[in-house]
Amino acid sequence: MPRPRRAQHCCRETALFSMANVRHLILLLLYCDGMNTETTPSPPSDPVFTTRKAVSKEVCFADWATISWHAGQNQVITEELAILTPQNIELLCNLTDIPNNPPNITGYWAKDGQEIENSEETVNRINEQYVLKKTFSIQARDLGNYSCIFRENKAQVTFVLDVPVIKDKRDKPVVSYTRDSVVLECKLKYTPNTWNWYKANNTEKIFNNGNRTKLTILNLSEEHSGKYICSAVFDIKPSESYIELKVLSYTEPLKPFIAIVVEVIVLVTLILLWEKCSKPQHDSSSAGENDVCSEQTTKLTRDESNGVENNTARRRKLDD
Amino acid sequence: MPPSASTNLGYTPPDGGWGWAVVFGSFISIGFSYAFPKSLTIYFKEIQEYFSISYSEIAWVSSIMLATMYAGGPVSSVLVNRYGSRPVVIAGGLMVGVAMVMASFGTTILHLYLCVGVIGGFGLAFNLQPSLTIIGKYFLVKRPIANGLAMAGSPVFLSTLAPLNQFLFDHFGWRGSFLILGGVVLNCCVAGSLMRPIKIKTKPPVSKTTDENDTAKPDVTSQTAGQDKSKQSGCAAKVSQFIDISLFKHRGYLIYLVGNVLLFFGFFAPVVFLAPYAKHQGIDEYSAAFLLSIFALVDMFARPGTGLVANTKWIRPKIQYFFSFSVTYNGLCHLICPLLPGYSGLVVYAVIFGLAFGMVCALLFEVLMDLVGAQRFSSAVGLATIIECGPVLLGPPISGLLVDIFMDYKYMYYACGMMMLAGGVFLFIMNFYNYRLLEKEEKEKQVEDRLEIGSAKELAANEEDKDNEEKIRLNTEEEVGKSICEEP
Repeated sequence: MPRPRRAQHCCRETALFSMANVRHLILLLLYCDGMNTETTPSPPSDPVFTTRKAVSKEVCFADWATISWHAGQNQVITEELAILTPQNIELLCNLTDIPNNPPNITGYWAKDGQEIENSEETVNRINEQYVLKKTFSIQARDLGNYSCIFRENKAQVTFVLDVPVIKDKRDKPVVSYTRDSVVLECKLKYTPNTWNWYKANNTEKIFNNGNRTKLTILNLSEEHSGKYICSAVFDIKPSESYIELKVLSYTEPLKPFIAIVVEVIVLVTLILLWEKCSKPQHDSSSAGENDVCSEQTTKLTRDESNGVENNTARRRKLDD
Repeated sequence: MPPSASTNLGYTPPDGGWGWAVVFGSFISIGFSYAFPKSLTIYFKEIQEYFSISYSEIAWVSSIMLATMYAGGPVSSVLVNRYGSRPVVIAGGLMVGVAMVMASFGTTILHLYLCVGVIGGFGLAFNLQPSLTIIGKYFLVKRPIANGLAMAGSPVFLSTLAPLNQFLFDHFGWRGSFLILGGVVLNCCVAGSLMRPIKIKTKPPVSKTTDENDTAKPDVTSQTAGQDKSKQSGCAAKVSQFIDISLFKHRGYLIYLVGNVLLFFGFFAPVVFLAPYAKHQGIDEYSAAFLLSIFALVDMFARPGTGLVANTKWIRPKIQYFFSFSVTYNGLCHLICPLLPGYSGLVVYAVIFGLAFGMVCALLFEVLMDLVGAQRFSSAVGLATIIECGPVLLGPPISGLLVDIFMDYKYMYYACGMMMLAGGVFLFIMNFYNYRLLEKEEKEKQVEDRLEIGSAKELAANEEDKDNEEKIRLNTEEEVGKSICEEP
């Protein structure tokens, strides 16, 4: 499906956020306001800013955050950015209020922990701020962790540039049964160009709708077990996630079930039997109807014989 | 001390011995009844994906199960009145087991509604009522402790069923889990077999006409006929053969019903919304789940503890006040919850709420037994649960609506707190009034008895005098006769 061309115009806006009485390092990124841009809501912890992306060769990306940096601490702050298309991105780091307030400090950029050659710059103090910025051209191979580092106080901010990650992944496999059906689903915050499923053949149905995809497999058999990979295709690179499927036969849960049923029957029988055995010992007035135990029968015969003896004794008395 | 309605049992309950085995059986039955519907929610997400339905459609399964469990109360009472506790519990256990096994082969969501919801719900109703009834038959002096221990089954089973369900789900999926749960729930039959029908030593019959040899089948009609002076005509008489609806004329019972309706509106919603409220405040999932564990743990110990406290000689006579106090305490808990800041505030809230929840649950059925007595208890609890059905089901959705409208949880907590406070205050006032009236009636009865005894004594004395006079007369006649005979 060809991607529609997007007309865009960029305008630059900057935004600053400062907290009084706190030494902080501010990240500033420029953002662009253009037509057909995608706006995503920011993560819930920072409702103040939004990220916007535009599709063009011009520098457009905006994201900013407030980070508080305390003297003496070596904090590494991380910011995640979702990149859907190859583009140029300008990253900007703004440092304020360091001790001694020197007229200029040096800073450099690093990718994935390795310092980028020739990226070191001397930053002048303008309006009580030190601004370090750089434009990066991001293609599929350029995705990674970019850090701006100030040499003097080792303050550092890391931007994670990557395709949107399919979250909500289960650690455990999906379990289903033979001759049953199952639905595997992948979800994203952004809508990709298309979705692909790997390890698919004729007996599956694929349903795609924007930022969700569902794979329904009917008439399962044991061969369907394994890893299924759902792939969200973006301009820059596909984003993938996997779901593991386990297909069991019905005898698997049947075994514990039968074990428990047997246990229940045994316990109930034991309890009821014990009750019948101990009944006549408590109940002296009843003539024992159910003699299951031998003690009971001997007791009964003893009673009976006593009764017979009494009767004969009484008869003998009467006869007297 | 107001007269306890349980003195009309007709025998002395054992208060121990096999009674403790019966308490264990009730513990299991009550645990399954209350914890089972709540623990099924773990499977909902997968079933929802499997049938491609919305969340509210799958939530109906739990609601139908809970609704049928409460609505099946009267049916259960009728059966217990007729056949005793043991057969009903065993039948209930079998019903739930079969229902879960059938549900594991379900092909549509309607299948699940019918099997798990309706049949399962009835089976659980057949477990709940008889377990409570038989405690009243076996215990009198130690009854609050027995009730507290039996009701502790609910939190214990919830804490064990939740991880067990997760384990089963990970290994067997929802179908296999339903099959295995069907087997697990059959253990209710074991609990039922422990509930031996009580065999009592018969006393020489005094003034009662009931069949005292076999309290497994108490003759409800003659009891009610003795106590209910007014005549019942036609279908009212027929209905009262099965279930005792003259309870609706019982003042204490009506107070209990109104108080319960008020309190159940705000009873369960705070439990349901505890974790979402914590997450709303920015607390992560595991800590939010930990809050529920704290709550369940405190609840587990609060129930038998309350039973012990309620059994003491200071509280037992005025146990209705203790119940009203615990309901009011619950309401106050909810009112201060929004004022407690941060995670530690929520932990404190979970602890005191757990205590309050356990207190109310432990006393809920004990006060009913105290009001109506063990003989009428099974009918009373059946009628009570069907009336409580409404607020129990409507409470959480209305609270959810409040949350949605105001986008803030504190109004929901205020509303729940106010409902419970209203219920508690109502119970306090009405029970004070009820105790006063009962004392007055008791005094009048004593005066009457004394008068009766006095007049009976007079009668007896008169009779004796008459007899003596007769004897003297006869003697004198004999003597006269003898003297006449002896004269030549």
